[in-house]
Order: sequence, then structure tokens, then C-alpha cells
Amino acid sequence: MKIYSCCEKDSISKRFYCPECRSSEFAEKEVSDDGTVYSYTKIHIAPAEFADIAPYNVVLVDLDEANAKVTTRMEEDVEIGDKVTFDRLEKGAYIYKKVPERVQLH
Amino acid sequence: MTSTYIHGIGMTKFGRLESSLKELLLEACNEAVKDAGNPKIDAVFVGNFMGGSISNQEILGAIVANELGLGYIPSTKVEGACASGGIAFRQGILGIMSGEYDTVLVAGAEKMKHASTPDVTQAINSAMDTTTTEKMAGLTFPGFFGVLANRYFYETGASKEHLARVALKNRENGVNNPLAQFPKHTSLEEILSARMITDPLGLFDCSPMTDGAAAVVISKKKSPIAVKASSQVSGPTKMQDAIDLLSIPAIGESGRLAYEKAGLGPEDIDVVEIHDCFSMTEIIATEELGFFNRLEGWKAVEEGRTKVDGDKPVNTSGGLLSRGHPIGATGLAQIYQLVRQLRGNAANQLAKNPRLALAQNLGGTGSYSTVHILERV
Ligand SMILES: [Zn+2]
Repeated sequence: MKIYSCCEKDSISKRFYCPECRSSEFAEKEVSDDGTVYSYTKIHIAPAEFADIAPYNVVLVDLDEANAKVTTRMEEDVEIGDKVTFDRLEKGAYIYKKVPERVQLH
Repeated sequence: MTSTYIHGIGMTKFGRLESSLKELLLEACNEAVKDAGNPKIDAVFVGNFMGGSISNQEILGAIVANELGLGYIPSTKVEGACASGGIAFRQGILGIMSGEYDTVLVAGAEKMKHASTPDVTQAINSAMDTTTTEKMAGLTFPGFFGVLANRYFYETGASKEHLARVALKNRENGVNNPLAQFPKHTSLEEILSARMITDPLGLFDCSPMTDGAAAVVISKKKSPIAVKASSQVSGPTKMQDAIDLLSIPAIGESGRLAYEKAGLGPEDIDVVEIHDCFSMTEIIATEELGFFNRLEGWKAVEEGRTKVDGDKPVNTSGGLLSRGHPIGATGLAQIYQLVRQLRGNAANQLAKNPRLALAQNLGGTGSYSTVHILERV
């Protein structure tokens, strides 16, 4: 996951300008895709463009290696605190998946 | 500084209505102008969100000026998602404060029930930043508040039952309001077992699609009800960049500004209309506006403090959840209910003769918030 930073603020999306110093130059760094479920919802009533995949989970993931969160979609049901990681990019969306339990033990 | 006073109010029935967007708008405007004693109107502001996308109808300002025969006066449509009405009201107030206008007609209207739910959900999604990966992930407008609610439960002792208590309170209030969308009583059991919209928010936790309009006439000429403060702020437009998911800073900041302008605090407010687009939103807003401590709004619900007979009555109209939420009209429907409370003839009239009333109108997932404080003088 690429993180854009300026003035001690991290974000997964590159803003047009840093709200603090107005610079459009952001420091870029690669961090692990791994994260922890911060919160989630299962969307049953979807807008027209997502109606065919409803119900689906939208999960807010707190990245482990940055002070940033990423809004993802997941097929599996999750609880707050679950360990998750990047699966694939699909039509501009981050699709995440659970980290298997045995891997979490390491 | 020029003070602003409320002279007339008008509101249609809210619900599934036969009338067109234009008919609803004109009905509310005509009632407000008559209620004000048919004064000369110097300008019109109309709050509306999806007239263009769902009804293929814009130029609502000019339609009002022309159909009501108000003359060659300036008129403006105002868009700020669900805060369109509150922002239009504020634009009218600013027009009077500037000295440019003596008397202004402000209206809000929306026609939604003729369109399909997926199409309306899609249109409402335009109230989020649609260029982001989170929109591509399928985050919806209600979904944002579902994510917020699950985290709120995690960090507090709150549960789905507290959300249900908000929905039940607002339904009980709405049942007594003849203009409200939902006239039927319900129960905690029915609310808790209703179908899920976006977990943990069920059908009763979400404001409905609604047709309706409301209007207010304001003037620099004195009346028994003054606008004591008007504030508006913009807030974050993306969930993933929120510094604190359990805070909607636009609400808190607009409240703080309004209290400062009015020279009073949350403890002075007698009656409140809050933007309960979702049951969760009402709880967060009561915290942001300083009525209850942060992360303790759910306790106030449990103790019944926000009921009509509580110490801080919230949404005596039924709120968005039961009065209904015709998007552009909501901010003015809040003013309508508070004026009735201050006049002493409201649905669910408070016995204590309220003197200070507060309306808070939210747009987007915290992108806009307006606060207005009214005073019986
Ligand atoms: Zn910077």
C-alpha cells in the first residue's frame, strides 16, 4: 500500500494539496497491506451500480505500518480487531481478505 | 448588526404525495407568505438536492417568484445535500443582515417517492466524494453511519437497542404530528426485528424517502420570534481520512459557533430539532452539540432525557426518521416545528413554554452542518 505523507499526516489517497503547507509534493512510501479491522458494515440496500453484489461488507481497515485507514470491501464477515490483508484491486476498489488464523499466530 | 425575525411558516404533509415538486414547493411557500401577512418579498432562496437528477426540474427559485407573482426579484437555488434547506435559510438571513433585503422567502422541497430505491440511493451517493476508492468499494451514505455505529458499540456500552430507542421515541413523536410521514405506532420488538439496511442499521434506524416542502418568511421587521444565531461549517468528505470516526466535527464546530454568536450554551436550549438521518446520527449529534458528554449520548437515550417530557427534548416533530426526510425541505421543516414550539401550538407542545430552540441540519456524511438558534422575544 502506498502512503502519501506531508506535515506528519499519512493518507492512502494523494490529496491535491497538503492542507497544512499547500504543497502538492507528498513523500511517498510503501507500507505493508496488512491491517486490523477498525469497523465495518454489511450493506444490504445498495446503489444501482452495486445492487448485483449486495449484500457485501465495507470494512474500514487500520493499516499496521502507517497512521492511516483504508476503506475496503470484503467477502468474508469480520469483527473489529480481526487481522486482514490486501487481496486484489477490482474496478478501483481495495478488496481485502482475512489473514488465516495460523498465520496470525506467528 | 441587523437582527432577523420569523414572520411566517408553511409546510406540506410529508410522505408519498401525488403533487409534483413544483406543486409541493408552491403550497408551502404560499402558506408561509399568507402566515406572514402577505408582505412584499425581496428575494427567494430554495433548498433542493435532486430536482435536476430525479425530477429533471431546476430553476426552482424563478418558478416560485413567478408563480407567486413576487415580481422581478432575485431568486437562488441552494444545494448542500441534506443541509440544502438549512443553508438556504442561512443565505436568507445573510441577505437581511447585509442590508440588501428587508424580507426574504426561504423554501425547501424534494420529490423522491416516484423514483426507485436504487436510483435514489445512487443520487444520494453524489453527496459523497465520488472520486475516491471508498466509493468504488461500495460505501454508501447509510453505510458510513453503519460503520460508525459498529465502532460506537465497540467503544461504549451501547447496543442496537439504544438505536431502537431513538427510533421509537421519534416514531412516538411523529404519530402526534399530523404532517409526519408515519402515523403508525411501533414497538421495540418490531424495530429490532426489522430487515437490515446496513448492519447494524435496520429499516427503522434509517430516514425514509419522502416527498414534501416547507417554507419560512424572514424579515428585519420585528416579530415575536428572532433568529438569535446562524452558523455553517464544512467538514471531512471521506471516511478513511476521518481523524476520529466517532466525531462529526462539522456538527460540533457549527454548534460551538452558534453558541458563541448567541452568547449562550447547550444548557440554555429548551427544545431541539436534530438531523437524525439515522438513529446513530442523533446520538452523535447530541454529543457534538454539547447536550451530553462524548460517548455518553446513548445513556441519555436510555434515561429518556431526549423524550418530549425529558430535560432535553429532541425531535418533537418526529425527526427525519418519522416526520420524513424530503432532502431539501428538512432544514426548513426543523424551523417550522421550532417556530410552532415557540408559538405554543406545536405537535407535542412542551408544557414548559420553550424560549430558546436549536435546529441542526447535516449534509453528506458530515460535509456540511448548519445550526440555527431561535428565541421567543
Ligand atoms: Zn504539508
